[in-house]
Amino acid sequence: MHPGSCCWQKGDNVTEEKSKYIIVGGSAAGMAAAHTIRLHDWKGPVTVLSEEPDTPYFRPLIPFLVSGKKCAEDMVLAGCGPYTGRDIFVRTGARVESVNTAEKTVSVQGNGGMAYEKILFATGSRPYIPPEIKGTDAAGVFALRTLAHAKNMAKRVEISDHAVMLGGGLLNLKGAFALLERGLKVTLVVYSPEVLSQLMEPEDAFLIRKALDTAGLTIKTGCSATHIIADSTGVTGVALDSGDEMSCQMVCIGKGVRPNVEFLDGSNVRIDGGIVADRYTACNAPDTFAAGDVAVTFEPVSGDRIMTALWTNAVEMGRCAGRNMAGVKTAYSGTFGILNATQVADEPFVSMGLVHTTNHDFEVYRHATETTYRKVVFNPGGTRLIGAIFIGDITNAGLYRYVIREKMPVMNIKRYIIDHTLHYGHFVTGKN
Amino acid sequence: MSQPKEIFVKTDRCVGCLSCTIACAVEHSKSKPLFGAISETPVPKSRVYVQWVEPEGKVPLVCRHCEEAPCMYACISGAISRDENGVVITDKDKCIGCWTCVMVCPYGVIGRHLEEHKAYRCDRCPDREIPACVSACPTGALVYDTVDSFSGKVRKHASRELLLAEGG
Repeated sequence: MHPGSCCWQKGDNVTEEKSKYIIVGGSAAGMAAAHTIRLHDWKGPVTVLSEEPDTPYFRPLIPFLVSGKKCAEDMVLAGCGPYTGRDIFVRTGARVESVNTAEKTVSVQGNGGMAYEKILFATGSRPYIPPEIKGTDAAGVFALRTLAHAKNMAKRVEISDHAVMLGGGLLNLKGAFALLERGLKVTLVVYSPEVLSQLMEPEDAFLIRKALDTAGLTIKTGCSATHIIADSTGVTGVALDSGDEMSCQMVCIGKGVRPNVEFLDGSNVRIDGGIVADRYTACNAPDTFAAGDVAVTFEPVSGDRIMTALWTNAVEMGRCAGRNMAGVKTAYSGTFGILNATQVADEPFVSMGLVHTTNHDFEVYRHATETTYRKVVFNPGGTRLIGAIFIGDITNAGLYRYVIREKMPVMNIKRYIIDHTLHYGHFVTGKN
Repeated sequence: MSQPKEIFVKTDRCVGCLSCTIACAVEHSKSKPLFGAISETPVPKSRVYVQWVEPEGKVPLVCRHCEEAPCMYACISGAISRDENGVVITDKDKCIGCWTCVMVCPYGVIGRHLEEHKAYRCDRCPDREIPACVSACPTGALVYDTVDSFSGKVRKHASRELLLAEGG
């Protein structure tokens, strides 16, 4: 038994030196792949090597650990939802240092080598810490990504009154609400003109902004941090490019993520930003596959090569990779770059497909009431739906996603789409 | 082992009376009888929907408990799983109301319980022999049957129609 390892059992056909399937990374893509392999190959040993100290968990839940609404045990992945497969060996604290695709071996830090027949790279991504911000190594500076981060953050809350969040994305908004719930004063510093700029345009975000303001969040747009001020107690403040300084005891950086590809340095696996995967989730080296945040895949509407950092996408791609690894050849249908549903403050919203329309000749319909907003985007000819934002009322959002993804001709259902009255009955009767 | 039963919809039989939606809401109320149910706060919710399509089509919609259930795989909190009867269930305690399931359900049959901030859907009435919506349907538009039995009846019906058309 290795120190820090878990769920690791030595069976007759499982050794610490060899496993038929090796999965590098124990989050959404990796665990979805592991369980999918089990559905198709019920006895081939599946070993997941996870560098994190915790057993696999639902990563999107970690803000609840900060708010105190959930504890770590509530987030455990094994046995929940579709993750009920048996005999999946998870080694935690197992960091893969390198991969030799010719000999089909991996080298695990401090634990020697391990051979595989098929391998999945699902190492995910890590927070991007902009180098132009000085002093980010001070105590009390966080980039919420792992359960371990969340635990540390929850501790820091106890000695904090004011938290400054750098970046206006979804992760920081969720973090901000967790901290508000803990009674902190929270300031969001956003470089873009409005929050959630990756998911919508500034004019689309007004209802969400209103909800955030009402919830008590202080938001400074159009500025960014230059350096973090600290003393022996850790963070004491943040200096902004506007010349302002804010005193605070905690800083959270939510400036996007970068794929974890460094372990493939020196291997012949093709990297182009992330790990390049083909339509069948395979990489260029024999019996290598990639899925999740780390994989470069394609957008089904535009065909563009993209990387996303979304749980739902990672699970979908991981399942596809799992099937391919188990010998069930399955094409991956690609993924929307934007595919988000959530609720911030009391405002539910969905944003999916192509929603940034400024300077494009898309056909765009917007509709706003006091409590709802929607924007539906068609291609320039108006024959296909390519994106949609629903705020306040997200009824039947799944149908619109389906219409976008299947590139359905919309002639007969276009007015229902524009009016947000589309329902499955329109597909059933043929009398639309 | 007996095959699990499912709820099938015969759209040509639906007259849009909404009996199914009332029966569903009552079955999922705390008090159960109709008069108790309508006075509850929050008002009990139906998990079956009857949609109207111009000019006169009525389409009852209910969770299909899909084989590759997109909601189950998309759920970011592990709240959605499949039970031993093949029923896809949402665990209310685990649901965080992020609405990812609503975003991926291609049928639009997952509801948002705004008061509880939880997603809800058809649970095939675990306490009943026959789901409430099926029992309540006066025209036989909703059928509770196994796939084999239901498709057998559809084939038989189609064969009969075919023979009649050929003058047999």
